Amino acid sequence: MDFAVQFIINVLSLGGAYALMALGLVLVYGILKLVNFAYGELIMVAGYTLHLVGGSPLPWLVMAAVAVVMAMVAGLATDYVAFRPVRAKSVTAVLITSFAFSTLLQNAALLFISPRPRSVPLPEIFSQSVMIAGTPTPMRDIITIAAAVLLLGLFAFLMQKTVLGIAMRAAATNFTMARMLGVPANLIISSAFAISGLLAGVVGILWIGRIGTVAPAIGLEPLLIAFIACVIGGMRSLQGAVLGGFLLAFIDTTLNYTLSQDLLKFRDAFTFSLVILILLWRPDGLMKGPATGQRT
Amino acid sequence: MQRNILTLLILGVLIVAAALLAQFMGIRLYERIATTMFVSMILVLGLQVFMGNSGILSFAHIGFMGVGAYTSAVLSIPDRMKGMALPDLYPILETVQLSPYLSILAGGLVAALVAAALSYPLMRLSDAAAVITSFALLVVLHTVLTHWSAMTNGPRTLFGIPEATSLWLACGVALAALVGAIAFKESRAGQLLRASRDDEVAAAAIGIDITRLRWVGFILAALFAGIGGALWGHFVTSFSPRAFYLKETFLILSMLVIGGANTVTGAVIGTLIVTFAYEALRSLEATINEAGIMADQVIGLTEIVLALAMIAVLSLRPGGLFPAREIGTLLTLKRRKGGRS
Amino acid sequence: MIDVKDLHVRYGAVHAVRGVSLSVADGELVTLLGANGAGKSSSILAIAGAIKASGGSVMLDGRDMTSANPEAMLRAGVATVPETRDVFPDLTVDQNLTLGAYARRRDRKSVAEDRARMFDMFPRLAERREQAGGTLSGGEQQMLVIARALMSRPRILLLDEPSLGLAPAIVDQIFQMIADLKAQKLTILLVEQNARKALQVADRAYVLRLGEVAGSGTAREIAASTDLDALYLGG
Repeated sequence: MDFAVQFIINVLSLGGAYALMALGLVLVYGILKLVNFAYGELIMVAGYTLHLVGGSPLPWLVMAAVAVVMAMVAGLATDYVAFRPVRAKSVTAVLITSFAFSTLLQNAALLFISPRPRSVPLPEIFSQSVMIAGTPTPMRDIITIAAAVLLLGLFAFLMQKTVLGIAMRAAATNFTMARMLGVPANLIISSAFAISGLLAGVVGILWIGRIGTVAPAIGLEPLLIAFIACVIGGMRSLQGAVLGGFLLAFIDTTLNYTLSQDLLKFRDAFTFSLVILILLWRPDGLMKGPATGQRT
Repeated sequence: MQRNILTLLILGVLIVAAALLAQFMGIRLYERIATTMFVSMILVLGLQVFMGNSGILSFAHIGFMGVGAYTSAVLSIPDRMKGMALPDLYPILETVQLSPYLSILAGGLVAALVAAALSYPLMRLSDAAAVITSFALLVVLHTVLTHWSAMTNGPRTLFGIPEATSLWLACGVALAALVGAIAFKESRAGQLLRASRDDEVAAAAIGIDITRLRWVGFILAALFAGIGGALWGHFVTSFSPRAFYLKETFLILSMLVIGGANTVTGAVIGTLIVTFAYEALRSLEATINEAGIMADQVIGLTEIVLALAMIAVLSLRPGGLFPAREIGTLLTLKRRKGGRS
Repeated sequence: MIDVKDLHVRYGAVHAVRGVSLSVADGELVTLLGANGAGKSSSILAIAGAIKASGGSVMLDGRDMTSANPEAMLRAGVATVPETRDVFPDLTVDQNLTLGAYARRRDRKSVAEDRARMFDMFPRLAERREQAGGTLSGGEQQMLVIARALMSRPRILLLDEPSLGLAPAIVDQIFQMIADLKAQKLTILLVEQNARKALQVADRAYVLRLGEVAGSGTAREIAASTDLDALYLGG
C-alpha cells in the first residue's frame, strides 16, 4: 500500500511538471510550426532571477512571481531575437537561431553571473513532509500536483472558452485564414510565447525546488523532457503533450523503481529506447492533432 | 560533371593551401589549429551529407564522433597502458591493440553500425519530430559514453591514446571526405534524397523509399563523424565524454549553417570562416583576461558572439553563404553569362 | 470602392498575375471569370493581403491598401472567403462564427444579434451548432465560411469559387444566397469557374486569361459575346 501511494504521487507530481513543460513547447510549435530550443533556458532565467532577488526581504511568493514574470519576458525576447528575424525564411533557420539563442543565454549566465551553481531561496514548505495514507510525502510533490491541476485547468479553460484561446487554436490550424478574419498575428504569437514562459517559469520554480541550486545548463533536462513528451504525444496536439508528459513520467518513475543500481545511470537510455519503440509503432505520436493536410 | 570537378579542385586547393600555410608559418599553435580544423571539416562534411540532402537537421552527429573516438581508443591503446587507462575493460579487449590507422577506420565503422542500428525509426518521423529525436539521441549517446566506465573510463579523462594524427593525415582525410560528400551528392541516392527533401509527397508518389534513403545518408554521415572523432582522438591523445556534447554540436552547426547547409562548398568555407573567427575571438578573450581589464575571468564571450553572428547570418541569408550552388557552378555560370554579352 | 491597378503576383519564377486592373463600386456584384490557372485566386489573395503583390496597387476608397496585411484588410471592411474554404475543422460551428466576429468581439450584444441572424439565414448551421467544422458536408462548410465572413459586417466580400466541388443542387442554394446578399446591398467580388451562374447574379464581369484581363463589361455583354464553353476549357 505504501509503495503504491508513493508511486502514484511520484507519477502524478512528475507527470504534472512534465505535462506543463511539454504544453509550453507544443503551444509555440502548434502556432508557429517552429521548435523553440531556447525553451529550457526560460527555467534558467527563472532560477537566476530567484537567486538574484533572493537577498531581498520580499516574501517568497512575490519573489517566485517575479521569477515567473522574468521567464515570460525571456519567452517574449526569444520571439524577438530568435524567431522574428527568420520566421518567414525557413524552418531550419529558426531551429538554429533558437539553438543559438539558447547558447547565448547560457553563456550570458556563465559570463555575467558564474559557471558555478548558485543557491536559490526556497520556502520552508518545500522541505516539509506530510502523511498521506500512512506514507510520508514531500509537500513539494503535493504543491506540484496542485499547481499542475490548477494550470492545466486554466489552460483548458483558456483554449476552450475564451476568444483568445479559440483564436490561438485557429492560428495553429491555419494562420493565414485566422488573419483574414481579423485575428492579429503578432498578438497571437506574443500570447503564445508569454503563456509558454508562464508555464516554464512555474515548472522552473518547482524543478529548482527539487535541486536547490541553479546553473547555466539547468534547462537542458527539462527541455529534453518537453521534447520527448511532445514527440510521443504528437507534435500538434495540446492534449497529446499532456498525455506524453504523464506517460514519460510513468516510464521514468517505473524505471527508477525497477532498474538495478548499476543500470540506473543508463535510465535515460532506456527511456529513449522505449520512446523509439513507441515511435516505431506510431511515428506521428499517440494523438492526432488538428487536421490540416500539411506537413507537420 | 565538369562543374563538380571544378568545385572539387577549388575546395581541394583551399584545403591544401590551409595546410601549407599552417606548416610554413612554423608556429606549432597554428599547426594544431589547422589539424583541429580539418577534423571539424570532416565532421561538417558528414553533417552536410545528411542535412544538405535530406533537409533534416541532426543534432546527434557529435555523439557519433564520440563513438568513433572511443572505439578507436579502446582498440589502439597500447597493452601496457590499458590497465591504467581502462581499469575495468572487458578481458577480451585487453589484449587487442591495432595500429592507429586501422582503429580509426574501425571507429568510423562502429559509428556507422551504431547509427544503422538506432536510427531507422527516426527516419520515418516528420521534420520537427526527427530533429527533436536526434537531439535526444545525442543525449543518450552522451549518457552511455559517460557511464559505460568499462569502455570509456566513465566521466573521467581517458588517456594513453597513441598519437598518430599529423597535419597532413588530417588534411588528407579531409580531402577524402570532400570527395565523398560530392560523390554522394551527385549519386543517385543523393539526388533522390534531395527530391524527397523538396517534395515529400511527390517523391513518395514516384516510389522513392524516403525512409531508407535518409537512413543511408545518416549512416554515411555517422561514418564521417566516427572517422573524424577517431582522428581527433589520436591527435589530442586524451579526452573525456564532455568533448562530445552541446558546445561542439553548436560549433559544427554554426560552421555548416553559416557556410550553407545545402552545398559542399558551404561546408568547407563555413568551417574555414568559423574556425578563423572562433580562434580570433578566443585569443581576444585570452588577451582581455591577461590584461586584467575585467574584474572576473571572461568566459563565454566567444560563444555569445558566434551565436549572434549565426542569428545575423540567418536573418540576412537564411540559406547560408552558399545556399544553393556549388562554387564550381557559380563560376561556370558567370563565365557563360560573360561570354554571351 | 475597390480599385485595383496593374496588379502583379509572382510565385518565384512563375508570373501568375500580369497587370490585372479591375474595380468594384459600392453595391455592385462583380465577377472574375476564367479557366484554371488564369490567376483569379492569386488576384483575390493579393487583394486580401494574404500574399504579397509584386507590383501594382490596391486602393480601397482611395486609401492605398496594397501592402496591407490580412488583419488590416478585415478591419477596413474587406472579408475574404478563399477557394480552400478553410473551415477550422476542430472548432465548432459556433466557435468558427465567433472568430468571424473577432474584430468586433467587444460589442457582445451586436455580435450575438448577428450570430442569431446567421442561424436564421442558415438553418442547417443552427442544427449543427456544436458540431466540429470538419464534420460538415461541403455545402455546409461553404455556408459556414460565408456566414463566418459576414460576422465581421464587411463592406465588401471577396468570394473565391464558392461552387467548387459542390453538387448542382447545393450550388443553386449557394447562388440563391449570393443573390440575397446582393439584394441586401453587400458589395461582392466573386471569382467563379461556373461562368453561367456567376453571370446570372453579377452586374459586371472581367475575364482573366493567363494572368491578364482578356475582356470586361456588363454581365449581359460578357454572357452574349463570350463563348462560355471556351472559357471553361481555356480556349
